[in-house]
Amino acid sequence: MGIDMTVTIGGAAGQGIQTVGDLLALVCHRAGLYLMVINDFESRIRGGHSFMQLRISDEPVYAADDGIHLLVALNRGSLAVHAEEIRAGGYALIDERSEGDDKAGEGGEAGIAVVGFRRLAEEAGGRIMANTVAAGAALGTLGAPDELVESVIKDQFRDKSQTVRDNNLEAARMGRNAVAEIRFDWRLQWPGQNPRGKLVSGAQALALGALAADCRVACFYPMSPATGVMVGMAGYMDRFPLVVEQAEDEIAAINMVIGASFAGVRAMTATSGGGFSLMAEGIGMAGITETPAVVVNAQRPGPATGLPTRTAQGDLHFVIHAAQDEFPRFVLAPRTLDEGYETMIRAFHLAEQYQVPVIVLVDQYFTDSLGIAGRKWVVPEIVERFLVSDAEMENPARYRRFSTSGSGISPRAVPCAGKARVMVTANEHAEDGHLSEAISDRNGQMEKRAKKMKRMVEEMRSPEVLHPDSSLLLVAWGSTCGVVREAVMRLRRENHDVGAVFFSDIWPFPAAAAAVALSGPGQFVMVELNASAQLGALIRAHTGLHAAGAIVRYDGRPMKPGGLMHDAMQYLEVSDG
Amino acid sequence: MVDLNAYHNDFENKWCPGCGNFGVLNAVKKALAEQEIPPENVLLVSGIGQAAKTPHFLNCNFFHGLHGRALPVAAGALLANHDLNILVHMGDGDCYGEGGNHLLAALRRNLDVTLLVHDNRVYGLTKGQASPTSRYGFASSAQPFGSFSDAMNPMALALSQGAGFIARGYCGEVDHLAGLIRAGMAYPGFAMIDIMQVCVTYNPVNTYSYYNERILMIDEKEHRADDWQAAIHMALQPEETIPIGIMYQKETRPFTSRIRTLSDGPLIARTRDPSAVQAVLDELG
Repeated sequence: MGIDMTVTIGGAAGQGIQTVGDLLALVCHRAGLYLMVINDFESRIRGGHSFMQLRISDEPVYAADDGIHLLVALNRGSLAVHAEEIRAGGYALIDERSEGDDKAGEGGEAGIAVVGFRRLAEEAGGRIMANTVAAGAALGTLGAPDELVESVIKDQFRDKSQTVRDNNLEAARMGRNAVAEIRFDWRLQWPGQNPRGKLVSGAQALALGALAADCRVACFYPMSPATGVMVGMAGYMDRFPLVVEQAEDEIAAINMVIGASFAGVRAMTATSGGGFSLMAEGIGMAGITETPAVVVNAQRPGPATGLPTRTAQGDLHFVIHAAQDEFPRFVLAPRTLDEGYETMIRAFHLAEQYQVPVIVLVDQYFTDSLGIAGRKWVVPEIVERFLVSDAEMENPARYRRFSTSGSGISPRAVPCAGKARVMVTANEHAEDGHLSEAISDRNGQMEKRAKKMKRMVEEMRSPEVLHPDSSLLLVAWGSTCGVVREAVMRLRRENHDVGAVFFSDIWPFPAAAAAVALSGPGQFVMVELNASAQLGALIRAHTGLHAAGAIVRYDGRPMKPGGLMHDAMQYLEVSDG
Repeated sequence: MVDLNAYHNDFENKWCPGCGNFGVLNAVKKALAEQEIPPENVLLVSGIGQAAKTPHFLNCNFFHGLHGRALPVAAGALLANHDLNILVHMGDGDCYGEGGNHLLAALRRNLDVTLLVHDNRVYGLTKGQASPTSRYGFASSAQPFGSFSDAMNPMALALSQGAGFIARGYCGEVDHLAGLIRAGMAYPGFAMIDIMQVCVTYNPVNTYSYYNERILMIDEKEHRADDWQAAIHMALQPEETIPIGIMYQKETRPFTSRIRTLSDGPLIARTRDPSAVQAVLDELG
């Protein structure tokens, strides 16, 4: 690996961290570099301390890393917070007014470059461009070619006036000139303009997947960190047969989704744990009425309000069991951006094929992080709807929505589309859809719904296994797989006998495939962002296999490779020894 | 006119003999028949309660969902297909209690459905507790010392929120109620009809005789439907007389005509264009 470095942009909420970070990310993306960008912010609109961290590499990267090579401190507090993370030879770019900061010298061997972000911005045409100066300075430090930086700025401001564009170009140039003297050890070799994929956030990947899947109604109540998924779709309402509607609450959102789906279009919602809790009864209604529904749960630490802007994987057991009694559902946890896009297409397909709710389980780290999605995103030519119409019925007047004959998947017609009456109730019901308390109807419908699980489990993809014969396997699911992949690669470079198992498909639990993946000669250890290693418990319950231990984190922060390697070593020392 | 029997089905009705819901059911059949809407073209959406079971007794399409949540289900169905004729059946507990927030949202959206609230001022399905429209002091097994809350005023609430069609009906005046339902269905926008409905089992206060003594049909010549001041006055007047009829009606912009995407036809009828998605992806590089 030639290039592998971390740039952190720190500041107060509202200072424009995002603007600086986005410009850096866009330039790196256009140059053909790989990126992993994480957002760490507090639940506030102004003030506090937030940061955006870009790991830049010329090879694919799967996690944020420890240590900072270049810090862009938009306020003096940021330098104090991050000074100790700056690597020897690293640099901190600070604003003029940060001078005299007590901790300014504590960067150890880090260099401090004072750049007048705000003063230069005023010279370029307005203080509002302080972020562009900062971005110009950071890119200058990294040695980014001028024409590349300028092409990105022109695109970023293409909807603005010529003056705004020119002023920003000037601001970036001034930032770059201010750091011309810096000799930065990690000055990049810029490969030229050859993007390696799409630069997207997890939220965007999910939104675009939903668009490709022909989702036509999306209803939501705003909740971090899920809102980005819905915002990512809303802008396309003018180009697609799509309505994105903000509901009055999450209960309304899930009921609107079920109404839209019942009436014949694909529909979804996105929320976080608190909203998902409110949706629980609705999920159950999708279950008993066998109405397809796709629900994204972007997890954050709980319970209740918990840590609103931070990440977690604590809802796994909850989403598998949410709502009273038992009914079939899918739970899918995409591991990468590419998989996020594909998972949404799969989720809508499975929801309609099996007439069940599908929960796409992600987290703040997944939705808010940016990266390069390198695979080609395929748009399905056809989306199969699994609907029936009068023409396919022997006698539409005798249509039975919940017929128990066959595989458990009964014919789904759309209301008011023909002579067939579509009758649906959230009560237990007879085959025709009327509510019923008859024992035969109850048992018939319960068994019909349960029968679907047999085929549903066959849809589950096996976990990915790296180095199955290793003496230690680290087992993860969803977005945590990225950091585990990274840690395993590095540990193996250090000659440790370690592999990994990565789950994306969680429910119905792929027990047989899990047993195969975990039955190697070594032991396995869970790596999860929840307190009790919830996937570990599922594995134990469904395969009888016990993890040797668990590396967990529940402080709301994503894992990084260094810390994970350190934690994994205690198991390796045992198995290596 | 379509034959009334076309809306009939044989599903066993378990309402108490004399239940006010029968009057509502008959009025719905009559209104649909008079408008010549064939039963297969009607979608009934309901929540939970005895009122919410109404769809089971009509030979139409229906979605009988969760307590309080009929309006969001109807909103979703309408977004999917705004050509649907949607009638929403809810009780007072269902609509004004459990589903109160959804009523406010439906008023703000001006959701183009007709809402029939079977308002019997008591919880029937759960055997007789006070409801949001039970008067202060209403005694029941759950409120042995009387209800501690005042009754809400759904008509005044809706009027204060800019509702475009507000009517009150009575289960004992079936023909009159059918006329209101017809008018509500013809109205482009949210039509809310609060129906004074008798519960013969659990509400000894608001009986047939209680209503028969107080009901007063609104005279269209004396009460101009577009006079908001007169309507709010009527909604707030003490219950010595109970005016029934269209209290207020004005032209409004219905929900689905506010959404530009829907001007190209119902979502369900639109053609998917994979190349449009590809174009979006290509923009990302």
